[in-house]
Amino acid sequence: MKYQSQLVAQKYFIAALSLFLGQILFGVIMGMQYVVGDFLFPEIPFNIARMVHTNLLIVWLLFAFMGASYYLVPEESERELYSPALANLMFWIFLVAGALTVLGYLLFTYSELAALTFNELWPTMGREFLEQPTITKVGIVIVALAFVFNIGMTILTGRKTVVSLVLLTGLVGLAVFFLFAFYNPVNVVLDKYWWWWVVHLWVEGVWELILGAILAFVLIKVTGVDREVIEKWLYIIIAMTLITGIIGTGHHYFWIGTPDYWQWLGSIFSAMEPIPFFMMTLFAFNMVNKRRRDHPNKAAVLWALGTAVMAFLGAGVWGFMHTLAPINYYTHGTQITAAHGHMAFYGAYVMISLTMISYSMPIMRGKVANSQAAQTLEMWSFWLMTVSMVFITLFLTAAGILQVYLQRFTDTPITFMQAQEKIEIFYWLREVSGIVFLIGLIVYFISFFVKGEEPQGVEA
Amino acid sequence: MNHTDKNIVQYKPLPGDFAIWVFIFAELLVFGILFISYAFTRKYNLELFNHHQQFLDRETGAINTVLLITSSYFVVRAVDAIKKNMSQQSARWLALGLLCGAAFVVFKILEFNEKFSEGITLSTNIFYMFYLCLTGFHFMHVLLGMVILAFILVKTHRRKYNADDHDGVETGASYWHMVDLVWIILFPLVYIIR
Amino acid sequence: MKETFTKSMARNIYYGGSMFFLLVFIGLTYDTHQEIPKRDNHEAINEVVALGKRVWEENNCIGCHTLLGEGAYFAPELGNVYTRFGESTEALKGFIKSRPVEGIPGRRSMPQFNLSEEELEGIAEFLKYVDGIETARDWPPNIQG
Repeated sequence: MKYQSQLVAQKYFIAALSLFLGQILFGVIMGMQYVVGDFLFPEIPFNIARMVHTNLLIVWLLFAFMGASYYLVPEESERELYSPALANLMFWIFLVAGALTVLGYLLFTYSELAALTFNELWPTMGREFLEQPTITKVGIVIVALAFVFNIGMTILTGRKTVVSLVLLTGLVGLAVFFLFAFYNPVNVVLDKYWWWWVVHLWVEGVWELILGAILAFVLIKVTGVDREVIEKWLYIIIAMTLITGIIGTGHHYFWIGTPDYWQWLGSIFSAMEPIPFFMMTLFAFNMVNKRRRDHPNKAAVLWALGTAVMAFLGAGVWGFMHTLAPINYYTHGTQITAAHGHMAFYGAYVMISLTMISYSMPIMRGKVANSQAAQTLEMWSFWLMTVSMVFITLFLTAAGILQVYLQRFTDTPITFMQAQEKIEIFYWLREVSGIVFLIGLIVYFISFFVKGEEPQGVEA
Repeated sequence: MNHTDKNIVQYKPLPGDFAIWVFIFAELLVFGILFISYAFTRKYNLELFNHHQQFLDRETGAINTVLLITSSYFVVRAVDAIKKNMSQQSARWLALGLLCGAAFVVFKILEFNEKFSEGITLSTNIFYMFYLCLTGFHFMHVLLGMVILAFILVKTHRRKYNADDHDGVETGASYWHMVDLVWIILFPLVYIIR
Repeated sequence: MKETFTKSMARNIYYGGSMFFLLVFIGLTYDTHQEIPKRDNHEAINEVVALGKRVWEENNCIGCHTLLGEGAYFAPELGNVYTRFGESTEALKGFIKSRPVEGIPGRRSMPQFNLSEEELEGIAEFLKYVDGIETARDWPPNIQG
């Protein structure tokens, strides 16, 4: 670790991983509710469990992105963080706000929470992924602004690198597009149109810039490849991301009351969204093959390569599968969407977070890499989580294909609930895979506490 | 190629900066898919397409084609000139190319204005959806190409390029030719072929 | 060796390309907002529907259902539920009202939300309004949603 203030990242990562565990626990609960409908009913109805599952995901990824930024930016900018105190303060504010919100979800009914937080003054609650009370949303904006300010000042007053500038544009975009969460008209078509400016332009837009910047940083560190080469790739990849992804938003504008031409534009541009992910895969493997040194942290390299492959599969291939309007006409809002969502979020954003954590945590704990034993266990957890996520995706895809056929495609369609019962076996298989994922995550946690002889080497 | 040193074979498949070619390939991919989509949709809506096609302004379309091809020629001369270290001539050729581009834009705006005043939008019917998407999207590319040419023009005028270092000119020229090429396919496809 | 792939060009394409497509997207957004009023059934929006949307949101209905395909995939699509329930707001209200508090053993069941008569009227009118939105190809594909 080159700068003392990088250490602030550690608590962000610990918080992120704790919330990750919570997310998976609720995922397992939901998976159970898919097959045993009254599981934990009425104490934790499905909608609450799902809200906790998705909101924890978003919050822990934000924690991880912030931690990654606090670690990466001082090193890139070659100066201490502009204000470590502000970073610490924001950590506690964000953690308390996040914890209170999740507790609110669990301890009150949602309508009680809405009343308690004065939703009627500025109603923004109750929309998918943006379920947080308005007051929490305001808190997110404050934390995000303080964070972007802190990171921005560090970058702009220090050495400016492509990695840090791309990261900064990604973070600014994240803060800006979140503001559309406050626009909630009664008109459902308009509501949905602008809702996607948060959701799509986050995960298929600016978040990919953050992903690219973190991946480039880790690859520079673990491969020793010339920064110039990596930075060129980074620019071209994220350029392709935005060139395809911005109008690619149109693949959400097929069936929500928006004009028909979106079926063409959305299909064409989003069909090209896999290209940057494919370039990212080529990029990561190329750089590792051209490595100038063997970094002792093999686990981090594995995570980095895994991110590139799984992001391409989950976001690229599984996204492409149902992005063309004639296909999406049948698959829209089915388990196919769920399958894509799971693998894309895991492959792109979960894995890049774990890549960064895997690379930086040992350094922050005073060693260049973990012991061989710890790394072996970490790699086990990599394979357990990744393979089980592949299976979750495959089972949900199978469930989705059947659901589409039974409920929408055949000449004698059956009702939603009848179709659900017929595909139950896949939900059982998905739940088993989910439990394996949870085991993988626990193995991952254990790997942090495995001792052993630590490899010697110079910190990059 | 340097003929005095035959041992070194300089092989450079693409003129200009490789990065622009990534962009050009992506753009050609988009236009290519749009063209193919147009062709297939037309096949299933032959009457509708043929009916509305006759209201398109083929005369200005033809003039625009000549304008773009001419401007591409000027840009070729500009690249040629800079390779001979004649930056002021190069700048002049670029200015002429830019002028042709501007004329294209003027004609196009008049054409769009006429269509819009008839109340035609992207949602009028599938033919006009394609017509407006293709020509509108291409129109945006002409504007972008002109911004790039203008940028290069200024740099050339300030003698920032020379015979040894003129990748910037070639890069901009490559993009401009792509814009031209797309129009050469677009014009017969949308305006003429019945 | 001459550099054939420069960082500055890659950067220009990143900034230029993104700005270009952002502008195109904003242009399309403008056009879309000209078209939306022709098909969004906004004539049906009134105080009751507005209350209904609040009820919809403040009970997190989207946490189980999809609405025009967006939401959770645990419970049926509601974009066309008004049609599915025989175009009867009374049937919708009756269904919501009759959900058992303790659920149904072994099966998925909608919670009992204890809505007032006014709120019930609102949510039913809201679902009726959404059903009236003219979606492309009349999505959802069939009555089952």
